[in-house]
Amino acid sequence: MKRLYFVLSVLVALSMLLSACGAPATEKTVLNVWSFTNEINTMAIAFEGTHPDVDVVYTMIPMTNGEYQTKLKAAIGTADTPDVIALEAAFVKEYVEADFLADLGELLPIAEAAKTYPFVTDVGTNAADGVIKGFAYQATPGAVFYRRSLAKEYFGTDDPAEIQALMADMDKFIEMAAVIKEKSDGNTYMVGSSGDFQNPFFANRAQPWVVDETLVVDPMVEKYIETAKLFRDEGYEAQAQQWQEGWFAGMNDSLVDANGNSKQVFSYFLPTWGLPYVLAPNAKSADGAHDTSGDWGVVTGPLPYQWGGTWLGAMAKSPNLELAKEFIRFCTLDEKNLTNWATGVYTNDYLKAIDPQVPEDQVQAAGDFVSSQVVVEKITASFDDSELSAFLAGQNSYAGFAAAAPSVNAKLMTGSDDAIQRALNDPINQYLNGVIDADTMWTTWKDALRVEFPNLVIK
Amino acid sequence: MNQASLKRNYYGYLFIAPFVIAFLIFGLYPIYNTIALSFTDATLMSKTGNFIGLMNFERLFADDIFMNAVKNTWLLWILNFIPQVGIAMLLSVWFTNARLNIKAVGVWRALFFLPNLLMPAAVAALFFSLFSFYGPVNQFLVRSGFLPEAMQFLQDVTVTRSLVIFIQWWMWFGQTIIILIAGMTSIPLPLYEAAMVDGATSTQMFNRITLPLLKPILIYVFVTSLVGGMQMFDIPFLLTDGRGSPSGSIMTNNILMYLKFSSSKGHIGAASSVGVLVFFMTSICALAIFYFLREKDSATSKSAKR
Repeated sequence: MKRLYFVLSVLVALSMLLSACGAPATEKTVLNVWSFTNEINTMAIAFEGTHPDVDVVYTMIPMTNGEYQTKLKAAIGTADTPDVIALEAAFVKEYVEADFLADLGELLPIAEAAKTYPFVTDVGTNAADGVIKGFAYQATPGAVFYRRSLAKEYFGTDDPAEIQALMADMDKFIEMAAVIKEKSDGNTYMVGSSGDFQNPFFANRAQPWVVDETLVVDPMVEKYIETAKLFRDEGYEAQAQQWQEGWFAGMNDSLVDANGNSKQVFSYFLPTWGLPYVLAPNAKSADGAHDTSGDWGVVTGPLPYQWGGTWLGAMAKSPNLELAKEFIRFCTLDEKNLTNWATGVYTNDYLKAIDPQVPEDQVQAAGDFVSSQVVVEKITASFDDSELSAFLAGQNSYAGFAAAAPSVNAKLMTGSDDAIQRALNDPINQYLNGVIDADTMWTTWKDALRVEFPNLVIK
Repeated sequence: MNQASLKRNYYGYLFIAPFVIAFLIFGLYPIYNTIALSFTDATLMSKTGNFIGLMNFERLFADDIFMNAVKNTWLLWILNFIPQVGIAMLLSVWFTNARLNIKAVGVWRALFFLPNLLMPAAVAALFFSLFSFYGPVNQFLVRSGFLPEAMQFLQDVTVTRSLVIFIQWWMWFGQTIIILIAGMTSIPLPLYEAAMVDGATSTQMFNRITLPLLKPILIYVFVTSLVGGMQMFDIPFLLTDGRGSPSGSIMTNNILMYLKFSSSKGHIGAASSVGVLVFFMTSICALAIFYFLREKDSATSKSAKR
């Protein structure tokens, strides 16, 4: 379903692009922006609202199997490069470390004034020469979301502080999973997929994947696989896969196993953006029969982590470099825009007033956690009685994220993370299914890495 | 030779010029460029590449990933080509058989051809959803007692390979039917009438008349399918994670090439080396097909005419 959706959205994006090309020539300056979701299009339209002489041509290419990265790489040295590109956490470093992006140093004073979280600018900075090439509008500390009703049933409390104490570290998290399995007769799973806690484990490694062109397998990676195996063998996970049907079904309590038995998922590891983009939209099943809104609580979880985030960079060769920089400033550092973005000002009607051809589903709901501490401090209180707080039974998640964000660390991020972690998924699945043993899993993974990293030293 | 005919000859070159120019730019140059790139360590992120001799090829044979991809590609192609031609041949014979006289052949032909019009991406997404862990196939098989519990179909080597083979067969047999029917209807009817008068059976007519006269068409089907099969990409790429999972069982030549190309730095040099080997492998096999299935008596009959 997800893939089909992506295919359709590509078609929509393409048709938008074509219709934009077909429009009669105007005096407007054209700014080409590429991204992998339709999210930034909202800001692009808002940008057109404040800059009436600019026409932002927005192209969306999905990244399910890395299509966006491929398309970008193929276009990057040619005349068809866009002016502004969106870069996801998984591959932003590759571009920051290469020579194609423009130096955005002149925006640094503005970022200082906005008190952009340090890890956000760290990720956008090339460690080798200290040049900053990317800014982000989000900061993305991670959390664990859990079902309050199930917590009450199995642990006698749904209070976030007490639940956090119960899952304070990974050992306690495993104990919790065992209790849930026992008390529910195996009908409630601790997590939808063992892939859920991959990010938290990887975020707590001591070393990055690649040191001096040599592959490093940190003990935390082995610990992750051990834990995943335990969850599979003990039946603590629903065997759904992230971003696929069963995983989403667990969010609205409509998960049904092949025999027709109803199954529950207790918790989901999701970062800031996971709440407004993933959990809240999926808390209601498509037929409306299941709705878990208001039944969720959020805690920091067993391991601190951060997940995802989108950075914006300008191509150094862009003929509209100044405008591209202005676009990046507007999206990532402009106090008014970030406030509008996070507080739900950008409704479909708001966007339609600027551009009547905006699609119906183009909208920015309140609640995305932004990168500017100044904005965060100003708007946190406004979420006390917001729709999202109601979703969490009155808990203000924004305040929790605001407390977690300054301690986020992005030192481990390298340009190769995405490909290295993608290559690990299938060997892990085969190992969890019991088809191959652990040794075969490691060798399969290392062989696969040689395909993509011919110069990497693998021991 | 007078001047007029000389001029006429020049016109001939003029007429074929568009093709030759387009071929040189879009056909020959890319092949040349791919071969040239395969001897370098060029990447998309660096722009400049250094000549590294046969290093890329050595790396391909250093582990069994490349050989595994070649084996997979052949396996997936052969196992879908045999039923594809077999069933297409059977249906084509039935459709063209004067005795059976099947009604509404055009409708059947269109129905069989229809899957070919579907976007491979949509087909892959459809099968992906059908066979997912919480998908309808698992529900059906478990509830009707064929399976004790739900299984991860797309993490199973045999199931995933079978799905790719089935999809390839299902999408392409209609195309083969159209070509075979066209070939069969072009065989002169009097040959069959004469055979019937002589008391030939249907099997004899098929073996002695249809097959020999269909040979050029069959060679065409064989070679185009081989070329397409060696470049198999979209269905296996989209059905799982785009890396030939599970266990690299549907990793084809082109997926391997794409993985090298789409790696974090975009190793186009290393990717080209895969392309070059596939190019030579396909060319040699196609030439071999032409050689072994050539008209063996054509040379003698030509000399006899003289």
